[in-house]
Amino acid sequence: MRKHQTLGVYLHAQGVSRRAFLKFCSATASLMALPPSAAAQVAAALAAARRPSVIWLSFQECTGCTESLTRSHAPTLESLIFDAISLDYHHTLQAASGESAEAARIAAMEENEGEYLLVVDGSIPLGNPGYSTIAGMSNLDMLRETAGGAAAIIAVGTCAAFGGIPHASPNPTGAVSVSEIITDKPIVNVSGCPPIPVVITGVLAHFLTFGTLPDLDHLGRPVAFFGQNIHDRCYRRPFYERGQFAHTFDDEGARKGWCLYELGCKGPTTYNACATLKWNEGTSYPIASGHGCLGCSEPDFWDKGSFYTPISAGLWGSRETLIGAAAAGAALGVGSALAARARKKKARAAEEAES
Amino acid sequence: MTLLDFARGPALQWSLIILVFGVLWQLLGTILIGVKKDLSKPRRNTAVRDGLATIATRSLPEHQFEKKIRFQHFSGYAWHVALFIAVLFSAPHILFFESVLGFGWPHLPNGIILVTAAIALAILFALVIRRLSHPVQRLISNADDYISVIVVIVPLVTGMLASAHIGARYETLLAIHFLSVEALFVWFPFGKLMHTALTFPSRFRAGAAFGRRGVKA
Amino acid sequence: MTSLDGIAVKVESATGNVEPLLHEIRHALKRVADGKEGTVIDLRSLPLAPGEEERIEAFLGEGEVRAELDTFGATVFQETSYAGVWLVTHRNMKQAVLTRFIEVTRTPELLKSQRADIERGISRLEDALAASSKVERSRRESVAGQEIKDSG
Repeated sequence: MRKHQTLGVYLHAQGVSRRAFLKFCSATASLMALPPSAAAQVAAALAAARRPSVIWLSFQECTGCTESLTRSHAPTLESLIFDAISLDYHHTLQAASGESAEAARIAAMEENEGEYLLVVDGSIPLGNPGYSTIAGMSNLDMLRETAGGAAAIIAVGTCAAFGGIPHASPNPTGAVSVSEIITDKPIVNVSGCPPIPVVITGVLAHFLTFGTLPDLDHLGRPVAFFGQNIHDRCYRRPFYERGQFAHTFDDEGARKGWCLYELGCKGPTTYNACATLKWNEGTSYPIASGHGCLGCSEPDFWDKGSFYTPISAGLWGSRETLIGAAAAGAALGVGSALAARARKKKARAAEEAES
Repeated sequence: MTLLDFARGPALQWSLIILVFGVLWQLLGTILIGVKKDLSKPRRNTAVRDGLATIATRSLPEHQFEKKIRFQHFSGYAWHVALFIAVLFSAPHILFFESVLGFGWPHLPNGIILVTAAIALAILFALVIRRLSHPVQRLISNADDYISVIVVIVPLVTGMLASAHIGARYETLLAIHFLSVEALFVWFPFGKLMHTALTFPSRFRAGAAFGRRGVKA
Repeated sequence: MTSLDGIAVKVESATGNVEPLLHEIRHALKRVADGKEGTVIDLRSLPLAPGEEERIEAFLGEGEVRAELDTFGATVFQETSYAGVWLVTHRNMKQAVLTRFIEVTRTPELLKSQRADIERGISRLEDALAASSKVERSRRESVAGQEIKDSG
């Protein structure tokens, strides 16, 4: 596909029928969490869409986000979307290496100045620049250089969106999120560890379809996918209301599929689409598989105490401090009572002396 | 650190430290202060029995005033019972107590807790309106009474909102609920909420002293 | 234990979303009967407990028509036992379900032949006819040539 050809013309030339294209569009509308009635609108927009250049940078990360995306359950859809974009640079997926890989990035940047989409996974270390480098260039420099000419940035995964696991206390590398460095570009945070693959492609599809970024919440995440918490969309919610909880992972309640709140489920404070989109070809999601939500799409999810501590429990240091406070309080109480007695005795003595 | 992390972490820790410190200070300071030795000959030597009897008799409305104080008396009971059910038998609360005390107990369904909390809130509002409209009650009320009522009302309201997910995002509601309870913890030892700890000891002491003089307490 | 079925898990679950969905279908069907436009419900947009989708399917049952579209993987259009209520399942080339819709309409949009495809069909048909008449003509010409040769 030539860069300035529209997707409609391209698909027509490939012999893709209108009916097949409409099937693709209704699946894409569903992917973007749009109502089914939006499929026609998507079709019209996609037919006229031009192929954007995408540069994908990977910093302090585990490649889990790329794994999630490439193993996603809609390969034909993904391949079409990837056909529809021009992925000009991606460490893990590109064939080129060394100088020629970097040359591809520079070429894509120059050719599409101000128009390309930058996707970032991984956090950026602000400590020693040597903690993470690519072709001798620090992550910070590469991000700044590449973000300069980008139309928008998609921060994929909790590391790029909020710092993620590298940012976990004590944050040895001084890891930060993309938005802490780049402040003059539109940024979409697609958080999750990893993010739901269809959410990544959903955001790409939105950009491809409408040429704009979707509506975002206060943490910069697309509202269509992160607008509701797991708890509100959870099929186990009725058990919460009825007060039916699993107390351990193998008790009666666990076997009956009751609510996992007591086992530390972070569903009530976690915003993501797992409960409806689900994972592994729509098979399941953690709660449906019997484990509470870890809250992986929220900032600092790694530093919120144990995954198995219920969210209504305190996250506090020790009982020893309370015992200390009790001892100090008791000492002060006894002391003040004794002092008061002494004062009274003295006053009485003075009274007697006077009389 | 998010508001919820702050509320569940340092704010909780410090409010509990103040609560425990303050309660023991106030309690021991009050109990050990001692009273002037009564040199008179006791009419009877039944101090413990008289003390316990007074705890019981003052827990029922005084016969002569029964008509006048019936509403006040029984709405007070209903308020306390409803509050205790909502506080002690809500599943999230028990998990909280378990995290502080190290043990838990069975809970009631959410729906029952919500209804109980609503009843408690309605009674408390009625009592506050009465306090404001009744000339004598208004005269004997001071800032302490109103602050104590507010620090109890706010956790009740925020708890119900958090439970029903109304008004804001759950984590915000939960954080505000935590913080409001922490405000209660901090105020508790220094205001009239200390009646929780002092009601029965003071009834006992009054009963014992009156009994010594052969007077009905 | 060799199979997951061997674990004594008996999930009790109900989101309470099944009945409202069925009522929504009833309202949508009435609108179609009144000549108004149809409704499409994306099953992925609803939180459903394990087994609830199957419950919906079982409740709706299977009707007279079943059509299959073969493009980027199979799409099955199954009319349910309630005429006008269709269960549309889009699959990808690996047979994994992409999306599932309940379409309440006389005929699902994708079953209809599309104008662009019809137009393309016309030009292909014209090309094919032109090509075949060309072949026919050349065959006739060669036969005629042969006849002339034979008679000559």
